[in-house]
Amino acid sequence: MAPAIAAEQLSKTFRVKVRIPGLRGALGALLRPRYRDVRAVRQVSFHIDPGEIVGFLGPNGAGKTTTLKMLTGLLYPTSGRVEVGGFAPWSGGADFKRRIALVLGNRQQLVWDLPPEETFQLNRAIYEIPGPAYRERLDELVTLLDLRDLLDKPVRQLSLGERMKCELAAALLHQPSILFLDEPTLGLDVTAQEGIRRFLTQYRDRHGATVLLTSHYMQDVTALASRVLIINGGRLLYDGALDALVARIARTKRLELVVGAGVTAESLAEFGDVKSFRFPNAVLEVPREAAPATSARLLAALPVVDLSIEDPPIEDVIRQAFAEGVGEGVAE
Amino acid sequence: MSGFGGWIRTYAALIRNAWLVDLQYRAAIGLWMLWGVTEPAIALGIWWAIAGAGPVAGYARGDFVRYFFALMLVNQLTIAWDSWYLDRWIREGDLNFRLARPLNPVHEAVADNIAYKARTGVVILAVWLLAAAVWPAARMPIQPTRWALAVLAVVGAAMMRFFISFATGLLAFWTTRATAIMELHAGVSLFLAGRIAPLALLPPAVAGIAGVLWFRYMLAFPIDLLTGAVPDGDALRRGFAGQIIWLAIWFAAYRVAWSRGIRRYGAVGG
Repeated sequence: MAPAIAAEQLSKTFRVKVRIPGLRGALGALLRPRYRDVRAVRQVSFHIDPGEIVGFLGPNGAGKTTTLKMLTGLLYPTSGRVEVGGFAPWSGGADFKRRIALVLGNRQQLVWDLPPEETFQLNRAIYEIPGPAYRERLDELVTLLDLRDLLDKPVRQLSLGERMKCELAAALLHQPSILFLDEPTLGLDVTAQEGIRRFLTQYRDRHGATVLLTSHYMQDVTALASRVLIINGGRLLYDGALDALVARIARTKRLELVVGAGVTAESLAEFGDVKSFRFPNAVLEVPREAAPATSARLLAALPVVDLSIEDPPIEDVIRQAFAEGVGEGVAE
Repeated sequence: MSGFGGWIRTYAALIRNAWLVDLQYRAAIGLWMLWGVTEPAIALGIWWAIAGAGPVAGYARGDFVRYFFALMLVNQLTIAWDSWYLDRWIREGDLNFRLARPLNPVHEAVADNIAYKARTGVVILAVWLLAAAVWPAARMPIQPTRWALAVLAVVGAAMMRFFISFATGLLAFWTTRATAIMELHAGVSLFLAGRIAPLALLPPAVAGIAGVLWFRYMLAFPIDLLTGAVPDGDALRRGFAGQIIWLAIWFAAYRVAWSRGIRRYGAVGG
């Protein structure tokens, strides 16, 4: 099966003007401008199969959005090769653009002063969606995203979450097979975030769409994506399953305990690093490989009512990955 | 876009949206239009007073009235604000979703212009007709052939001013001062395009520059055609030839700026 998205040795270098503070610097820059190369993306390679949902993670400025823009044909790569849906995005033209959707969480395509349905109608004309297909797709999106009461309200009167739902509808009316979502849940409350996640999974299941999404919210990624790409400083640090990443870089396990009378933080400290203690709950961190043995010792030595062994929170694991790297390069 | 029908539907949808948005900004659009009328009205007032002592370079009071009424109409029908929009699209990242659609953003700008001009043009035309009904000086001689030619010249001028504005706006790919360049252009065109006085009143050297460059074909040529100041024959042919040449040059400038700018696009914001 040909991949839906393929990037080979993809790089993007921006040439930016160096601005020296102060009047002298400004005058100097006017006479002899100085430039600096910023390597936003460095030799990134990956493949995404049709129907996959992949999370794209990285701190601000890591190169996520730049990569996304190269995949959608907005930016021209400095070097490397990209193929999306069988097209080279930059030269794919209208046929390519009909196959994809790009949703930017901090930019909107909905016309601010008009009800969302006017943008939908505009996209219907731009994407040349036949009447019956348009009504059928709109019905489906209205049901899945619960838009019934929003269609005739001006966009400026909608809440952030309502607006994002309408953005998604506007971007999906032409039924793209490949979705690029840049921070689709940015600024949304928990309920709205969950609604968007549920919708994305349903949409993928119904239409077999491929989804690549960037997000700052780890829940987005854990709930949606079976696979993650981690990028930092323009380099791809990891490509693989989320669980495998945790197993690889989390050196510790968490023992979550409910303890009986007489147990103190001091008595627990003999068994591991006490992360929190609030009687009767306690959290201990222990070396990964020692977790079973330490649990057994704990149960024998102290009155423990309940014990569970967990991986550290995924946020911590990712933070550690950003800070220290993944260790063994890109996994498959 | 597949076929003529597809283009018609797309343009109809774009124009419809532009009108619906305009309806939300009635007051702002009324004010812009008022400004478009105020400037020629002030110039007319001044020339009216000056021509009280007798015709200036062959222009009597009535000629000034017809000139400035024609200016109000032609200016509204040819003015283009696109550099300001483009500058914002490029700087604030609003170009991104437009580039992801299977429609070159220039079409949205063209449709916006058609929508704006259709609406404000009708209002100015109605104002002129009302004025002509009560004020004989504002009446135009009825010459259908000349009017038809003037319509062509207005379309040519509108296209040229559109590409001037669009190509200049595209400079935002390189500089943060694209709109300042457009302001400068507006300042120069105050004199060279005939916004402040008919070109015949300018020193011959200045009027000559206006005719060699594109300024004359933006406003003065269609206005003179409408008011009868361009004689038939050679002058007419030269006028249209100048308009076509400068339209072609500005169209080429737009194409070059677009294809180079888009490669350079840093895609700011987002």
